[in-house]
Amino acid sequence: MTATLSTETRELTYVKAFNEGLAQVMRSDEDVFLAGEDVAGYGGVFHMFDGLLGEFGSRRVVDTPISEAALVGMGVGAAARGLRPVVDLMFMDFLAVCLDQVVNQAAKMKYMFGGAVSVPLTITTASGAGLGAAAQHSQSLEAWLAHVPGLKVCMPATAYDAKGLIVAAVRDDNPVVVMLNKVLLGARDVVPAEIYEVPLGAARVVRQGEDVTIVALGRMVTEAVRAAEELAGAGVRAEVIDLRTVQPLDMTTVLDSVRRTNRVLVVHEAVTFGGIGAEIAAQVQDEAFDYLDAPVLRIGAPFAPVPFSPVLERAYVPDAARIVAGCRRLLERG
Amino acid sequence: MTTVIGEQVEVEVLRDLHERMVRIRLFETEAGRLMEAGRLPGFLHLYVGQEAVAAGVMSTLADTDQITSTHRGHGHAVAKGANLREMYAELFGKVTGYCHGHGGSMHINDLSIGMLGANGIVGAGIPIAVGAAFASAYRDDGGVAVAFFGDGASNIGTFHEAANLAAVLRLPVVLVCENNGYAEFTAQANHMLLADVADRAAAYGMPGEVVDGMDVVAVHLAAKRAVTRAREGGGPTLVEAKTYRYYDHQGVKGLRIQYRTQEEIDAWKARDPIDAAEARMIERGDSSRAELDAVWQRVREEIAEAIAFAEASSDPDPNTDLLRDVYTGTNA
Amino acid sequence: MATEILLPKLGLTMQEGTIEEWVATPGATIRPGDVLLRVGTDKVDVDVEAEAEGVFQPVVDAGVTLEPGTLIGWLLGDGEQIPGASGPEPRRFVSPNARRVASTLGVDVAAVRGTGPNGRVVSEDVEEFAAAERPAGPPVDVNRAGPLVRRYAKEHGVDLADVTGTGPGGRVRRADVEQVAAAPGTVLPLTGMRGTIAERMHASLREMAQLTHGYEVGMDAVVDLRERLKAEWAGTDLPVPSLNDFVVRAAALALTEHPLLNATIRDGAVHLLPDVHMGLAVAVPDGLLVPVIRDAATRSLTGLTAVTRELAGAARNGTLKLHQLEGATFVVTSLGSYGVDMFTPIVYPGNVAILGVGRLRDGVRWEGETPRRTRVLTLSLSFDHRGVDGAPAAEYLRSVDRLLQQPLRLLAN
Repeated sequence: MTATLSTETRELTYVKAFNEGLAQVMRSDEDVFLAGEDVAGYGGVFHMFDGLLGEFGSRRVVDTPISEAALVGMGVGAAARGLRPVVDLMFMDFLAVCLDQVVNQAAKMKYMFGGAVSVPLTITTASGAGLGAAAQHSQSLEAWLAHVPGLKVCMPATAYDAKGLIVAAVRDDNPVVVMLNKVLLGARDVVPAEIYEVPLGAARVVRQGEDVTIVALGRMVTEAVRAAEELAGAGVRAEVIDLRTVQPLDMTTVLDSVRRTNRVLVVHEAVTFGGIGAEIAAQVQDEAFDYLDAPVLRIGAPFAPVPFSPVLERAYVPDAARIVAGCRRLLERG
Repeated sequence: MTTVIGEQVEVEVLRDLHERMVRIRLFETEAGRLMEAGRLPGFLHLYVGQEAVAAGVMSTLADTDQITSTHRGHGHAVAKGANLREMYAELFGKVTGYCHGHGGSMHINDLSIGMLGANGIVGAGIPIAVGAAFASAYRDDGGVAVAFFGDGASNIGTFHEAANLAAVLRLPVVLVCENNGYAEFTAQANHMLLADVADRAAAYGMPGEVVDGMDVVAVHLAAKRAVTRAREGGGPTLVEAKTYRYYDHQGVKGLRIQYRTQEEIDAWKARDPIDAAEARMIERGDSSRAELDAVWQRVREEIAEAIAFAEASSDPDPNTDLLRDVYTGTNA
Repeated sequence: MATEILLPKLGLTMQEGTIEEWVATPGATIRPGDVLLRVGTDKVDVDVEAEAEGVFQPVVDAGVTLEPGTLIGWLLGDGEQIPGASGPEPRRFVSPNARRVASTLGVDVAAVRGTGPNGRVVSEDVEEFAAAERPAGPPVDVNRAGPLVRRYAKEHGVDLADVTGTGPGGRVRRADVEQVAAAPGTVLPLTGMRGTIAERMHASLREMAQLTHGYEVGMDAVVDLRERLKAEWAGTDLPVPSLNDFVVRAAALALTEHPLLNATIRDGAVHLLPDVHMGLAVAVPDGLLVPVIRDAATRSLTGLTAVTRELAGAARNGTLKLHQLEGATFVVTSLGSYGVDMFTPIVYPGNVAILGVGRLRDGVRWEGETPRRTRVLTLSLSFDHRGVDGAPAAEYLRSVDRLLQQPLRLLAN
């Protein structure tokens, strides 16, 4: 369950850690199967599923047509019948072509049915910009999903979490979307060899500080840590929180931190407008208004589709420099 | 189109089909009466006229076989054996209903009898049935899944995606298109150029069969062939039942939009599936009029009791029922 | 024509003043000499009079503490508007956290200067303000009592540390404070002059590296001269100087020889002051006042004596003006009449030394093997070691001693 039980740790890449977690949870539970486009023979376009067909066979690792709505719907039906499907949407942008099955079927089935059914469905997908994949292959749509009661959404920021969160997601009795980040696929981290879960809804304090809180999602956690290091050189002690999941949203950890630092910045790759940052800002002012020395600052992408040109894309995605500048703005004193 | 009345089924099967249809007819006419009287919240899509399809298909399924239904789903639930008390209670939005007041008409479900739910989104149940079929194949439990949908739904992506996926994976699923001639208020001729939805089966490499949806025995026999094929590993079949709804798209008289002629309605009513079945049963000597009347009377009493139960039931409590069952376990 | 009303700078060392009260009514027509407001400094409350005429219009609230020279109001001509006041007063921005911290620390945010963006007051401003205002005491446990209870306790001189809280989680309720306040024992709250003395004295000890030299001086010559003056000046209106006056005169003259002791330390430097303004500590019923003899080094002994008498009288009658209380560069304090020989006076904030005068007493001087009765007293010089070392301090005392041995020199102008 936790790393403390680990007997063996070694460094793995994010994608290998994810792959290992999925393989282990499939080994541990015969009801888990994987379906999606090119997940079997090809092993997933990002090699997320390498080797799974060989180990588990075509009954449990299923290539499907390019039919996202049918794929997710099949996952919903199989989950309602007690299996634990893992269906892969390849790019998160493709969520839009099967949104009904995610939002109106998977998410609501339990409630609509008066609790008579559970939908232990896991949807994996690759999100995020930074690879020159342009507007239809680069989005971070966590805010869409987090807005829907019944769904859970996680955004692993490290290899450790990529493994722990896929295991937790598959074992959860609710529909869970696991948003892998494409830029992080090769990022290394110490990863225990045995199976473990990272609990859904428990943010991680990556770095402690007293002066300002940086709440980060997904790849922005790395940028936030870089920013905190730079700020430390200037005597500013920034606390960095990796939310890990956006639904459920661990506001307890965020609020505890804000009440200590009195200043908070939220950073995500998604466009700022209507993003998770807005939700966090609203909850912070609801719950900790009297602890704020500055307005909650949001840093995200501008209100435009993800651009293709590397120059434009770099300008689009938030980075450590923007986080540092944001913190300085929060801490500015004359 | 296959039309066969009475000849090829046992008397017990015919009586069973008849009673299923009577239950649906009375359930729906009473539900329509309650709705028109303003005693039910929300709105209903009623199944009157299409009884032979639900009864004919459901008579070929066991409780372990799954169906997914549509916005016009009462008939499927009743024919599958759902509890009438819990159905009415749900229509009233009562806490004793199938969904404890969370779902209403379009989300009635009963997993214990293989009823995987009505659905408010056109076409959405089709891939879910494919998923149920996948689960049966995965477990090799011999189960079959049936997806009900209308002619209108045969134009939505999920139908095509799910049909293709089921065919590719050779899953034990039967796709039952209830072609009542209208996608809401749009006649079939205006929403597709094919005369038969069943022709679409060819596109996915599966058999397609058209059956008279006003002939309960014909539906029963067609469904039996398709279900057997699925159960034996032959993959999916598309069965199109030509039928007609007597009421409007929604409610009984609905919005009173003139999109169908009275002549058309009368012509279909002249082929009423229950009347036709009863005429054959009497003609064959399977049942007397009195025996058939006794069936109606028994079902009427059952329905009156179910409505009384529903009306006497409590409303859900906002303090305890509003937020329950959003998640399995907690979301924190 | 509109005339500005500025917070007056009442003496050299005044760094800030509090508007205790607006005496004049806003909108009232004021004539020169009318009292406008009462200003409190660390030393005394003073009435400030109008220097011009016009319709009085304050621009700050009573209770604020400001630097001298700050615009605090206007005297306007008929129908005249406040110059530059085209719109409503600019909004004062205070962060929610600053308000919360101010409330728990009992700080009036209106008095706090904002350093955040657009001049926003942030919690650090409040904390720094509170730390400067209230250097003493243990940190306040902000969770232990609400602001109202804290204020009630302060008004009744009750230390919250002495109160057992009976509210939820040990919170102190007003009833708890009332119980302690009603308990036997007299409570003398550190407010008003007492509070100012407490604050100033503690600030002095906190800021400076203080130490005291005790130095016995022979007073035979002064005593003898004084006897002669008493006899010769009897019947004239010449004031006979007291022993203390001789010491003050000697101390002032000696300062001209030792300017290091007539100085102030600020901004990391010792600033030698050009003039000697001698403060005289005078005990009054509820505390202590330090009226100032301006230019003490240039006054004759008799002139100095006359001023001393006037100031001491005014101090005891409570009629000292603020200008008479401001600007001491050095202080002499005497406890001789109380029988004290040696003590450790505390240097006044802004000074580098203070001279304590002990009891006139009999001493012994050995002439060969023969003891001779002599008259002596002990001077106690406290000084700030940051600016003055032990040796120069002793040199100064030796100069004072020398002057007291040659009192005719003191008598001369």
